Amino acid sequence: MEKICLLYWLTSFLIQTLVQAGNFSRETKKLKMKRIFISLMIFLAVFLSMNAAASRERESKQTILRIGTPQEVKSPNVFGDYNLSIFIKISNPPLMKIDSQGHITGLTASKVQMSQDFTEWIFTIRDDFWWSDGTKFSAEDVLFSIVYTGKHYPYAAWIKNTLESAALVDENTVRIKFSRPYTRLDLEFTSYNIFPKHIYEDIPDPMNHLNSGENIGFGPFFIQNIDLNAGVICFSRNPYWQGRQSHINGFEIHIYKNTDILSLALEKGDVDTYYKYASSYPYANIERLKKTNKFDFSTKLNIGLVFMAFNLKQGATADLDFRKALSYAVDYDEILLLDALGFGKNPDRGFVPPSMAGYTESEDLEYDPDRARRILSDAGYADRDADGFLEDRKGQEISLSLLVRDDWARIGELLENYFAQIGIKTAVRFLDLNSWVAAKDHYDYDVLVARSTPWGMFMHANWGTGYFDSRRTGQGVLHNVDDPSFLKLCDEILASGDPQKLKDLARSVQRYYAEKIPAVALYWNEIVTPLKKEFSGWKHSPLYGIYNIDSFISVRKTE
Amino acid sequence: MPVFYKKALRYALTLITIISLNFFIPRLMPGDPVINLAGEEISFNEDQIEIIRKEMGLTKPLGLQYLNYWKDILQLKLGYSYHFHQEVSRLLFGRMQWTLLLVGLSVVFGAFIGAFFGSRAGWRSGRFGSRLSTSLFLFFYSVPPFFMAILFLYFFAFKLGIFPLKGYYRTGTLPDIIWHLVLPVLVLTLFTSARNFVIMRGSVLQEKNRLYPLFARAKGLSDKQVLNRHVFWNASLPLITLIALDFGFIFSGALFIEIVFSMNGMGTLIYDSIKALDYPVLQGAFLVIALMVVSANILADITYSLVDPRVRHQR
Repeated sequence: MEKICLLYWLTSFLIQTLVQAGNFSRETKKLKMKRIFISLMIFLAVFLSMNAAASRERESKQTILRIGTPQEVKSPNVFGDYNLSIFIKISNPPLMKIDSQGHITGLTASKVQMSQDFTEWIFTIRDDFWWSDGTKFSAEDVLFSIVYTGKHYPYAAWIKNTLESAALVDENTVRIKFSRPYTRLDLEFTSYNIFPKHIYEDIPDPMNHLNSGENIGFGPFFIQNIDLNAGVICFSRNPYWQGRQSHINGFEIHIYKNTDILSLALEKGDVDTYYKYASSYPYANIERLKKTNKFDFSTKLNIGLVFMAFNLKQGATADLDFRKALSYAVDYDEILLLDALGFGKNPDRGFVPPSMAGYTESEDLEYDPDRARRILSDAGYADRDADGFLEDRKGQEISLSLLVRDDWARIGELLENYFAQIGIKTAVRFLDLNSWVAAKDHYDYDVLVARSTPWGMFMHANWGTGYFDSRRTGQGVLHNVDDPSFLKLCDEILASGDPQKLKDLARSVQRYYAEKIPAVALYWNEIVTPLKKEFSGWKHSPLYGIYNIDSFISVRKTE
Repeated sequence: MPVFYKKALRYALTLITIISLNFFIPRLMPGDPVINLAGEEISFNEDQIEIIRKEMGLTKPLGLQYLNYWKDILQLKLGYSYHFHQEVSRLLFGRMQWTLLLVGLSVVFGAFIGAFFGSRAGWRSGRFGSRLSTSLFLFFYSVPPFFMAILFLYFFAFKLGIFPLKGYYRTGTLPDIIWHLVLPVLVLTLFTSARNFVIMRGSVLQEKNRLYPLFARAKGLSDKQVLNRHVFWNASLPLITLIALDFGFIFSGALFIEIVFSMNGMGTLIYDSIKALDYPVLQGAFLVIALMVVSANILADITYSLVDPRVRHQR
């Protein structure tokens, strides 16, 4: 406000001076023009001050938490938009959740039972939920959502294709029976949101349904409006929420297309925290934000990670010794420092990070280029033509094709350098996402750099198996392992519901990663989230970070 | 064949070629639109992919897809975007309104400012004022728009706090929209006016040494009258072509400005659609741009003949 006053004062001073100057000379056309110009300036200054003041007044009336995000919502479609489907986990929570210990527990469901053969699942639904329009939330909503999602959401077609029956056992219990066993249905149902039957039963094509106004929910908050031109999604308190009351009146998601501008918004106070699913606040901007002394920083080890994976079907990387040598060629300390500014941990050979339930400690990955050279030499790789690069056992020069997405350009350069140090020639291909996916799906690479997300680590048979199982596909899926022993492990995990057996199988999977090296973790990164000191009481979920119901209920404005 | 028919034929052929290229170029890009649609953390099997591909009409032979594409265009159907979950025409219309406001205003302001100051700078080329304005506009012309946008945002929105950091509006009232648009429009205007200034100045420098300004002076016209009545109009011919092209590309948006100011415009729409291989949106957006460019060229042809009698008499 004081800056606007200063601007106003300066302009007034200027006009006074000019008017006085005009008194000493003839009133010319030029002076008239100047007067018009200056009047316009004053008008602009007053106009700006009014807008800025109105904006502040509007924001100060209630305790509204403002979250800045670079996650763009493409359309106001709560059913189909990927990012919006993450944001509505507060208003339309799924049946299950992953708790802070990494265990799957009930969220909307209070109890889960399954048949011996895992074809039948019974969910008992909590009876203390109400939709924000005053309608009682019921098991019918859950039943409807499961069938409706299977029918209309293309990537949930597995529900439609294998669902035998779905029915209410009583008013709070849902029984669903499938034609094949699903041992991990509880995990699947941590991601599918629940929609109001009384609204959606009249919407025949939810993928084409846009609603930028009120989207009712049964969580502690519901969507008041989605304004993509303003870049804001507003959540208000659910007036019928029966659980513990939140300390904030609502929250807003502010969407920014540029993380640097979002950092400025944090510093300026336009937003109170930063959220991007599976990602940290940009490490390079942390120091600057720390200097403002307005933020605390939450640091959690990510479940997702950055890794290099190998083409196991052809070329030198099909050889286990070669892969082993490459794993010793990488300077993990340096790569963590240069790519993540040290925000993370050096990984071990088991790939899976300690933040994931079922983690088993294994041998640390270490940087030992001499050992790498020895392994290669023992395996028959030698520099026969003395050009500084190794040839394979048949005498043909090795030139690795390293596939790198634009996002990981620095890692690509570092790997090229590390491999050169042990005599491996590498051609790095920096590609956009589409080209990277196309090359990856055609196995047109020897080594590639990729990342996994928390949900990605859970998908399929857990512990990152979804990325490697050759029977699967998808944008981030590498499908590079067709070893029957690995596929068998995946199938066993998928067929088992026994916690102890699952623990053993998790250990076996990590042992497989350590021994067969289909991929090597480059670093386990930390997710750093700046949290304005004005707010406290944040809770952290392994899957969605600070963006979870517990967090929004307990967060409060500090006195 | 009269000139009019020749031109009409040329424009029709151009349109047909562009519309055909709109169909083929996105399909030549690497990647699979179905895989892109799912996002990086969804894993599924081939059968599921085939079902979605069929729903999107991608399993039909390319020739048939091309025929259907023409059929839809002739019926003014632009298709459905699986990425944005809505009809392409609705999506484009929503984005075009705001882009028109953002880029349209800048093109108009930039044309007037550039032409006015450029003509004055060229006419009085030796003077201090001319040298100063030339340096200033050359400076703006040399600075990349995205960098200028970040600088302006940093000083006026972050440091001084007199403008907002993002979006077209917050409350949606007219003053609020103007408040949000001042900075991005200013940056774009500075850039387009700087370019127009350079062209106009060069053109006036050429025109002022011809015989007709001398003749006009001999008739007794003042310097100002010679510039405004004669030189300005002759010098503005190259500018008309540029402004016509600007109007042609008005709906291609201003990608960097939209990213810096977090605005949903045509620039980011096309960028997102390229990343997602969203064929219907790309086809629709490029169709609109092609139509605009061709129309703007027709308009430039007409304006040329109005401004320059030599062109008129060629007919």
